[in-house]
Amino acid sequence: MTPDARPYAAWRSLLPAALLVVVAGAQVALARTAALSPWKGGGFGMFSTTDDSGRRHVRVFVSAHDRSEEVGIAPSLEDAARRAAVLPADRELSRLARRVVEREGRYQRPVDTVRIEAWRIEYAPGTLAATSRLIRDYVYRVDATPASRP
Amino acid sequence: MWTRLLHPAHDADGVPDSVLTLTAIILLLRPLDVWWLASFALAAACLSLVFRAVRRTPATWLLLAVLVAARIVAVWPLADNHIYLLAYWCLAIGLALTSPLSAATLSASSRWLLGAAFAMAVLWKALLSPDYVDGRFFRVTLLTDDRFADASLVFGGLSRDQMAENRAFLEPLPEGAALLHPPPFVEPPRLRAFAAAATWGGLALEALVALLFLIPASERVQPARHAALLAFCATTYAVAPVAGFGWLLATMGLAHCRPSQRVLRGSYVGVFILILLYTEMPWTAVLADLTAR
Repeated sequence: MTPDARPYAAWRSLLPAALLVVVAGAQVALARTAALSPWKGGGFGMFSTTDDSGRRHVRVFVSAHDRSEEVGIAPSLEDAARRAAVLPADRELSRLARRVVEREGRYQRPVDTVRIEAWRIEYAPGTLAATSRLIRDYVYRVDATPASRP
Repeated sequence: MWTRLLHPAHDADGVPDSVLTLTAIILLLRPLDVWWLASFALAAACLSLVFRAVRRTPATWLLLAVLVAARIVAVWPLADNHIYLLAYWCLAIGLALTSPLSAATLSASSRWLLGAAFAMAVLWKALLSPDYVDGRFFRVTLLTDDRFADASLVFGGLSRDQMAENRAFLEPLPEGAALLHPPPFVEPPRLRAFAAAATWGGLALEALVALLFLIPASERVQPARHAALLAFCATTYAVAPVAGFGWLLATMGLAHCRPSQRVLRGSYVGVFILILLYTEMPWTAVLADLTAR
């Protein structure tokens, strides 16, 4: 009898793989519906696509009564920015936006809205010509509920 | 039931110590990069290497599974896939050590984990990612990913200047924009062949491993499983920069061996060391310097 066929191994041996399948299924769903990078999230999509974290980035724009400008990603924002680029969902984007508002507040710079663009690099079939494509445009209002454009 | 988790497994023919020690070594070689988790995980790994009783106690591995899972949550969604596999593997060890026939339980766990992980990898490459099967992924990655650059110079026949020009070509432009004088793009036939071999060879080998581990075992399937997994580890991690994944696969393959398969078990330990050497010896960089154009 082979090890596979022994009945006593049942639930203990199946539980870890069952967890893997559930998490991987959720990862596929997130990649399809929330633009999660296929490289991340436990779905084993690494080395399958150029849509990795290194080819994604976010741009952050702040505006207030007397200002409207793009702000750079400061070291204190890098972690939140990386998470938002890999998974540009409301939760990650609003987290980054709140960090931006906090940081601007530390420098006494007013912020009414934070707009975040999530971008990825795509390569054309055949020629490999590279273009940047906007995958999410998100608006966070400091004193109201966040609004989002598709 | 609960006290069983805190006591070493009493199993004369149980999970081989080599599987447990190699897993602890993986945790030491690639520490979790969240300090409040890493310290506990490193301590547990060290203790399990030193003390057999700690190594064979289910609670040790269940605790490690929780710590690794907590790391995944703490850095969500940035964790790499082998960290997920490490969490499942620690859980599998912990559960197996509570079983009266722990070796067979862990052998079955490793089979299902390997089959499922490889099946998902094949699903992404073959069906869900349009830029894999048309060759774009490796054509771009061999040129833009620093970790593959030396292999591209050696096997692709590129010069360093051509590599730099190609990287400039692959810099993105805004949608709809075009350069008046775009940088040249040089893709020698050897580089295209290397990209095609990586694309289709990788997919074929992964599909074979998935298939062999998911179909029921027979006297012919068992050796084929090990041959495919060993071939995957020995070839892929010569170039692919994810030793942590390779070590896990080798350790899981080892757990799937029967006690009597001494040569096979030695082969998995050998592959574990081979991946270590691939990682620590910049052999493609040395070759690239020797063959510099």
